[in-house]
Amino acid sequence: MTILTDRYMWAAARTLPEAQRAEFDRELRERIGDATDALIEAGASPDDAERAALTELGDPAALAAHYVDRPLHLIGPRYFLAWWRLLKLLLITVLPFAAIGIAIAQAVTGATVGGIIGAVIGVGISVGVHIAFWTTLVFAILERTPAPAGRRGIDVAWTLDMLPALPEPGKASRLAELISSVVFLVVFAAAIVVQQFGVPWVPELASVPILDPALWSFWLPYFLGLIGLEILFAVAIYAWGWNWWLAAGNLVLNIAFTLPALWLFLTGQLINETALEAMRWPWGDSAPIIVTIVVLVAIGGALWDVIDGVIKTVRARGAARATA
Amino acid sequence: MNPEETTAGHLQELRRGTVVLACLVRLRIPDYGYALLESLNTLGILVDANTLYPLLRRLEKQGLLTSEWNTDEARPRKFYRTSPSGEQLADALMTDWRRIDDALAGLTTGDEK
Repeated sequence: MTILTDRYMWAAARTLPEAQRAEFDRELRERIGDATDALIEAGASPDDAERAALTELGDPAALAAHYVDRPLHLIGPRYFLAWWRLLKLLLITVLPFAAIGIAIAQAVTGATVGGIIGAVIGVGISVGVHIAFWTTLVFAILERTPAPAGRRGIDVAWTLDMLPALPEPGKASRLAELISSVVFLVVFAAAIVVQQFGVPWVPELASVPILDPALWSFWLPYFLGLIGLEILFAVAIYAWGWNWWLAAGNLVLNIAFTLPALWLFLTGQLINETALEAMRWPWGDSAPIIVTIVVLVAIGGALWDVIDGVIKTVRARGAARATA
Repeated sequence: MNPEETTAGHLQELRRGTVVLACLVRLRIPDYGYALLESLNTLGILVDANTLYPLLRRLEKQGLLTSEWNTDEARPRKFYRTSPSGEQLADALMTDWRRIDDALAGLTTGDEK
């Protein structure tokens, strides 16, 4: 036994519980001694024999881990799927809410668009890393916690009931619709909030609210609330598909939004007077034409949205009848 | 993965259980790790030290082997011996081994009935 063997023994034994060290030490010295002797007998020099015997043992930490059945992986097959499913679920549920929350908070405190995007990306990455780290840590600890005898631990036995339903035809395309609706509505809501601080890239409007600030007493919160309802509505469409109830809801939402907006616009309450002056409104003779175009686009957009809902409802009923 | 690695992997899987059986049968007469390794390899039951030593520990933990330190010589050695439950397991494994051997023989000669 030389310094080299002693170093190997120390490197292996230091990670073991105190109680198991003596036995481990004895067993390992027996093994190294026997292997070295056999190599010397085969004609190797004592030094070479010892080096070869220790090299064959491999990494001392791995040897010790095997000795006490300590896993050499962070999360093994028993918990891997549970960890992976939970991680995905947390990321897709928590991250969007965190991002929206940060965007709103930044907008309310008057950040620029660039500042909002920067904050959302920065905090989003940090929230994601936290979620991944803590989830993984919990499972790594579970992996190292022995389950009581006869129990499986916290992993759930898989049953047939856990099989996912076959994807409904149309649900995949509805997902794309959901994402685009929600993105549009969030941007729209953000625009309503941000316009309060002016349009930074137009010098005349740099700090002038576009919409009449007096509307904050009722109408702007009302529109923001409606946008919230529209988001819920988009989720409902994704979950259930179009039906007559939802088509009717779509009509109500469109009326609730478009009528007050047009009324405010036509009675001159919508746009901030200062902003109009800054834009040098009215623009010569074109004013009536522009007003007419805006009104037609607003009515046309709302009408099309309602009709689109009805068409999709009729199609969805038809498809349901065809498969029934 | 090249064909040689694939072959080596399958051979290893095929031998894994037979090493357990060989140990249980061989250790009816008590012996220590290195002597067991030598005798198994001489008999043509190929196993390397990094497999055998952890296996002996595991079998001991499962109560299939018992052990005793022999300190008569300069180097203390741990002598393993097959326990009664180890004997039972050896019988069960041997029976199954014979059954599989017969079945495979029937399969290769096409004489299954």
